[in-house]
Amino acid sequence: MDLMEYKAKELFAEYGLPVRKGFVLDKLSQLEDLAVNMEFPCMVKAQVMIGGRGKAGGIKPAANPEELRAACEAIMGMDIRGHKVERLLVTPRTEITREWYLSITLDRLEKMPVIIFSALGGVDIEQTADEHPDKIVKLCIDPLIGVQRYHAWYLVSKGGVEEGFIDSLFEILKKVYDLFCGRKCMLCEINPLAVDNTGKLVAVDAKVSVDDSALDASLAALRDEMEQEALVLEARKHRFLYIPCNTAGSISVISNGSGMLMSCIDIITKEEMCVHSVLDLGGGATADRIKEAIRIILEQDEARGLFINIFGGITRCDEVAGGVKQFIEQYGSQKLIVVRFEGTNKEKGLEILRGIGSENVVFADGLHQGVSALAERGMRQ
Amino acid sequence: MSILVDASTRLIVQGITGREGSFHTQQMLEYGTNVVAGVTPGKGGEAVHGVPVFNTVKEAVMQTAANASVIFVPARATAASACEAMDAGLPLVLTIAEHVPVLDMMGVYHLARKKRCRVIGPNSFGVISPGKAKAGFMAHRIFSQGHVGIMSRSATNCYETVFMLTNKGIGQSTCIGNGGDMIPGSAFVDILPLLEADEQTQVIVLIGEIGGMEEELAAEYIKTQVSKPVVALIAGKNAPKGRSMGHAGAIIGADGSGSAGSKEKKLREAGVHIAQSTADIVGIVERLLQ
Repeated sequence: MDLMEYKAKELFAEYGLPVRKGFVLDKLSQLEDLAVNMEFPCMVKAQVMIGGRGKAGGIKPAANPEELRAACEAIMGMDIRGHKVERLLVTPRTEITREWYLSITLDRLEKMPVIIFSALGGVDIEQTADEHPDKIVKLCIDPLIGVQRYHAWYLVSKGGVEEGFIDSLFEILKKVYDLFCGRKCMLCEINPLAVDNTGKLVAVDAKVSVDDSALDASLAALRDEMEQEALVLEARKHRFLYIPCNTAGSISVISNGSGMLMSCIDIITKEEMCVHSVLDLGGGATADRIKEAIRIILEQDEARGLFINIFGGITRCDEVAGGVKQFIEQYGSQKLIVVRFEGTNKEKGLEILRGIGSENVVFADGLHQGVSALAERGMRQ
Repeated sequence: MSILVDASTRLIVQGITGREGSFHTQQMLEYGTNVVAGVTPGKGGEAVHGVPVFNTVKEAVMQTAANASVIFVPARATAASACEAMDAGLPLVLTIAEHVPVLDMMGVYHLARKKRCRVIGPNSFGVISPGKAKAGFMAHRIFSQGHVGIMSRSATNCYETVFMLTNKGIGQSTCIGNGGDMIPGSAFVDILPLLEADEQTQVIVLIGEIGGMEEELAAEYIKTQVSKPVVALIAGKNAPKGRSMGHAGAIIGADGSGSAGSKEKKLREAGVHIAQSTADIVGIVERLLQ
């Protein structure tokens, strides 16, 4: 889960990282109350989950209360490449003399946190990485050792930074590493890590991504609140995983495992059809829950047809068929449903399916047979 | 022979008194697995399906001479349980849960190397050597004993393959669920030497998917170290980019890393037979065994 800057900075502050204290604004009417003790000059920053907001006009300076109001009015509600600004962060402006880049992420190959540091930070960091890869220092941290002072020395000497920064950089390294491990992050990024006009280091921007498997209750609630896709959210409430694939697709797929879903997408694509979305039931879904899954797809999703492909280990075939039956009884049978299942109680499941008596419900005895049935029933555009 | 689990396995079930732990203990016992002990703190002295329960793994090992553990505890307690098993000196630890935090597994991974322990999973169905023993939750009825060794990041793709193999009368030596997470305790490259050395295994099947570099590393190894024929499937070729496909590890990076194309290319260069679907795997294996 990617956190917005304001939330990331809350975590930064919790771990003692140097951030300037500001306030968060959801409505312009809150401005009078919140801006009482604001230091000027300050910066107004759009809180959106997309990079390049500065270049898009989503960050503005303000030298006095009038300019602050004008900046907030200009940015609130703005559309930044499809992301509407609904929240602002206002912080005191830092007098920046230099911009560095510092992040920690997971090196999947080494299976260790990796620190990435550059003395050439700021908005053009990606360009720096392309044009001057030698200016980017990468350093894996062995989790059994943790961050040590020599790591700071390595960044300073390889990164071309004065030795006088050793102490302050080491402090920041320790804290950002503590945050990364403590909150089980996938990324903690400070860009820029600024040297201010007094020589202190300040995290002017903050980006944090937390492992979806490690969210606490408050972050999980925030994730739901920020979720842009209604069906992803609704599926999550039922403990399903809904993944939109291609808006031009005609078919949605329900299955009981990620690997099988990927295989279905591959085979359907190979047969010149296109998948609109997929839904993973997880293990052991009952008829009631399967009905809900079908409803989420067929009642709300734009797909014209549904492929239910279940290899029953924990999930039982009669429950799957029962779910289809319940759905048809409640919502009717306008769209095509191709059902394939294998495993526990298959015969019992088949009997239930036969009893439905709708020509829009088709049983296929095998994965490839199921995909062929979709093609025969007009799912090729 | 087969690998990892067999008749000599003396298995501990951590979390044996839980719903999943208890149910699958029964399933494993019925299959013939020698489940010698269970562990649930605070439930020491009880028994589950006739298996004695201990408060700690250390006690269970001392009392029963166990040599492996399968962990059926919730995701967020999995790493601590794995550490306990390693600390008690067990050489094989199987982690089952889905949604184990990646950094938890990172710690387990490095500790396992220090302790010389083999960790399988997480997000794995476990390991089964058909006809001998199983440790995990796989639907064992579809498996049959034979000469195909399978390692898979996906449970469902492995089941589908095994089901078709068994229907054609082609059995398996050992099937390993490497798991769908970003940091698996054992990757393909860690299992390959065992399957290569195993006398029962004649053909090796690798069921991979998008994301990470495991298949590429396996290809490097196969090129010089594996003499047996290898068949591989890479699932997720047409998965939408930038989205994790349910398996936390199955994601293509913004730079295109972890794509199916690069994996297939490296494997093909290493002489691996590339299958386009699970049915295709079965066809190729059938030809190779003739």
